[in-house]
Amino acid sequence: MTPRTREIGLLVARRLVFAVPVLAVVAAGVFLLAAASPFDPVYQYYGVDVFTATEADLAATRERLGLDDGVFEQLGRWLSGVLSGDLGTSRAFRQPVAQVVAERLPWTLLLVSAGLAVAVGLALVAGTIAAWRQGGLFDRTVTAAGHAMEGIPPFVLALVAIAVFALGLAWLPVAGLTDAGAALSLGQVARHLVLPALVLGVSQTPWLVLHIRGSLLGALGEDHVTGARARGLSERTVVLRHALPTALLPFVTLLGTRIPELVTGAVLVETVFSWPGIAEAVVTAALAVDFPMLAALSVLATAAVLVGSLLADVAVAIADPRVVADG
Amino acid sequence: MADRCTETATRPHGDRDSRMGADRAVGLGSPAEPRWRSAARPRAGTPRGRAAGRARSRLVAGAGLLVALAVAAVLVPWLGGLDERLVDYTAVRLPPSVAHPFGTDAQGRDLLLRGFAGLQVSLLVAAACAVVSTLLGALFGAASGVLGGWPDRLLMRVVDTVNAVPHLLLGIVIVALYRGSVLAVIASIALTHWTGVARIVRSEVLSLRERTFVDAAISGGASRWRVLRRHLLPAIVPQAALSTVLLLPHAVWHETALSFLGLGLPPHLASIGNILGEGRAAVLLGSWWIVTFPALLLVASALAVAGIAAWWRDRALPRRRSELGL
Amino acid sequence: MTDTLVVDGLSVRFRLGARGRAGTVRAVTNASFTLRPGRLLALVGESGCGKSVLAAAITGLLPANAEVAGGVELDGRDLLDAPESVLRAVRGSRVGLVPQSAATHLTPVRRVGSQLVETVRALRPTDPDPRATVHRLAGDVGLPAEMLDRYPHELSGGTAQRVGLAAALAGDPPVLLADEPTAGLDRLLVDRSVDLLAGMADRGHAVLLITHDLRAARRVATDVAVMYASRIVEIGPAEQVFSDPWHPYTAGLLGALPDRGFTPVPGHPPELTALPAGCGFGLRRPDLHTCVPDPVLVWSGVRAVACEPVKAS
Repeated sequence: MTPRTREIGLLVARRLVFAVPVLAVVAAGVFLLAAASPFDPVYQYYGVDVFTATEADLAATRERLGLDDGVFEQLGRWLSGVLSGDLGTSRAFRQPVAQVVAERLPWTLLLVSAGLAVAVGLALVAGTIAAWRQGGLFDRTVTAAGHAMEGIPPFVLALVAIAVFALGLAWLPVAGLTDAGAALSLGQVARHLVLPALVLGVSQTPWLVLHIRGSLLGALGEDHVTGARARGLSERTVVLRHALPTALLPFVTLLGTRIPELVTGAVLVETVFSWPGIAEAVVTAALAVDFPMLAALSVLATAAVLVGSLLADVAVAIADPRVVADG
Repeated sequence: MADRCTETATRPHGDRDSRMGADRAVGLGSPAEPRWRSAARPRAGTPRGRAAGRARSRLVAGAGLLVALAVAAVLVPWLGGLDERLVDYTAVRLPPSVAHPFGTDAQGRDLLLRGFAGLQVSLLVAAACAVVSTLLGALFGAASGVLGGWPDRLLMRVVDTVNAVPHLLLGIVIVALYRGSVLAVIASIALTHWTGVARIVRSEVLSLRERTFVDAAISGGASRWRVLRRHLLPAIVPQAALSTVLLLPHAVWHETALSFLGLGLPPHLASIGNILGEGRAAVLLGSWWIVTFPALLLVASALAVAGIAAWWRDRALPRRRSELGL
Repeated sequence: MTDTLVVDGLSVRFRLGARGRAGTVRAVTNASFTLRPGRLLALVGESGCGKSVLAAAITGLLPANAEVAGGVELDGRDLLDAPESVLRAVRGSRVGLVPQSAATHLTPVRRVGSQLVETVRALRPTDPDPRATVHRLAGDVGLPAEMLDRYPHELSGGTAQRVGLAAALAGDPPVLLADEPTAGLDRLLVDRSVDLLAGMADRGHAVLLITHDLRAARRVATDVAVMYASRIVEIGPAEQVFSDPWHPYTAGLLGALPDRGFTPVPGHPPELTALPAGCGFGLRRPDLHTCVPDPVLVWSGVRAVACEPVKAS
């Protein structure tokens, strides 16, 4: 194992260790919020039947679920449940939470990966051209559009996209994973993925474009680019093989810090497109005040952010030989 | 080296700097200003076109737009004379026309009036959120900076933890558990957006602590409280004010998202988000105007505020740009 | 190789602030010299008098706020006003630049060898084996082959310098410009570096050595130009100038050498934003020199001096 690999391995280990208390704190936070909530948890359990249940039934259920215990007791029970794989039961989905997560997480990952690919692709091309011809028409358009679109929420884009492409032009399906009643197949999923992925990608592009452009402009002013020019290399080589590689390094780290926005975007896009992912489950759980689901999803989302940030830092450590990997 | 003197004497004078030849014979003379030309070449990354003056025009455009929107938000519902909540089932989902410039929604309400009323609500709620957020963050950051030591480290760990949770998600969880009131929405936004302010205020406090005049004041007998008031506040207040303005677009965004999902403001207090949420079903029926115009209002106001805030930030506090990262 | 680089009355200034409102920096004023094959011209002077700007001006790498006057010709073809396409053809293949602090002029995320191979490929498109060429170049400059697998930040000062020289030689340019190649190196490495450059001159290249290290210049230069506050104040064959300096500044610089008295010139050169009239040295040492309002180089045989009466050569 080279010293570099060991360094990176230690970085990963350190981050994972640090992640555990953070996740525990988040879980505790959610439980505390629930404890102070005006909603009586037993209503979550019964749903609409609570009006027909007897007092004795309600009391017995409270006892059984331990809803009268202190916050930290409940938290402790939940945490030990997590360690053994039991995340509770979701009333809104009528399934164990773990099962809901297992079924829905892959779809979200698919959507987010596709969206990210779209965003990075668009941003790289547009940002590079904009920086290359700084001040030109393309650059000014891209910069203005980037700033303008930063304020547009993804669901607005989603609704516009649906109105234009799905309803107006009828090129693509409106919502869901497959057409109504159709079997799950690659073709079906691919067709239904196009619009949500494009919307999610485009919603993340403005920020990315502006950063790549800025980063590349900075790199183009550095000594090593001047050195490359002085050696007689073509402008294309200078930009693509000397300036861009250095410009992309801070970009990778920044990408890691944008995971929260990506999660938020996924929540909104999945909801509008009825995409059966884990992010859409958040909204359903919130509307139904489904506490086990909310607790699990909060921790899961936080874990996703931490993992994303770690991956970005590892990527930078691998790509940039100058970086000291110390987390 | 060859005899340069003879070389130069025999070379014909072009349109070059002829001073060389002439003065060589004389040895002295008043300098004719040489022909200067720019050494700039078109290369990747060198700017083409003027960049100056554009920042100011952005401010003017932003400020003008915001003022126009604010005035409209106040005047239009009032001048309309009509109650924007007036339901009229004979005028359901009408496309834009002279009578209804923005069309009507699924309950027959005029969208122009409703849109501006909604914008009013959105901006007010966002302003409240921004202020609460700033206060929270400022207190937190000041406390952290003043206390120092392990309380400071602990509080910063709390900041890191809160930052690790996606804002909207945390907001959704908070709203879900406290649903039904405007306060819940404000709390959910405020509790997720205070961290940036906290960081800035804390670093400001820390840098002030380093300054010797603080120590001098304290050892001179001034109470901590007085030092705080006289020295800390003037430094913190402008930062905090800027943070509040910068938070506005985020607060609007966040509240709109929550309301769109049905988790935000109650329907009788409709904001743009509620309108968009209700309009979602209508879009599927082909009434594109129900989301387009409210969305335009939303985007326009966000742009306007962002433009002003960006100008203020670049003018007043250039070194804070990286820290604000909002 | 018969190329000569002629610099004729070159002036460079920078406009600071928007539209030059924050002032002007006159980095080079009316510089004239010629680089000939087989000769090594040392351009000496204290730091901050505009020497490095000259190298950038010749290769067309000045920043966008720079303005130039005068002329630079390579083998009769104008360089100063040439379009970027011409300059790109000239850089590397006809004029090679060894930059100051070579390590920062290499891309940090790529290995040194890969960048050298890339340069060779670009400048010698017909070369069947660029790798072999790179190894040969490395050998020429005394660069150990294993250094080619390193990243720029992993190289020592001397090694990075050699990489810079190898890169400059990749296209076998007839003209070599070395910008402060000795900065930050210890004496032994300095001697080795400038000896390499002298070797290049012996092989027929025309070499310009820009340095503030007079000892190193004296070691290898065939010709020397002395620069003070953006102007060349003395120029001529090295032997003659070093043994019998005409300008008091040159004498002062020589006096700072260990074997000549070790007495540095007191005071500082003027700021380039506020150049005094004349050559400026009169303000610094009024006892030694009085400036004339507009100094130009006055020739006497093969030597020239500015701002001073010419002595018999």
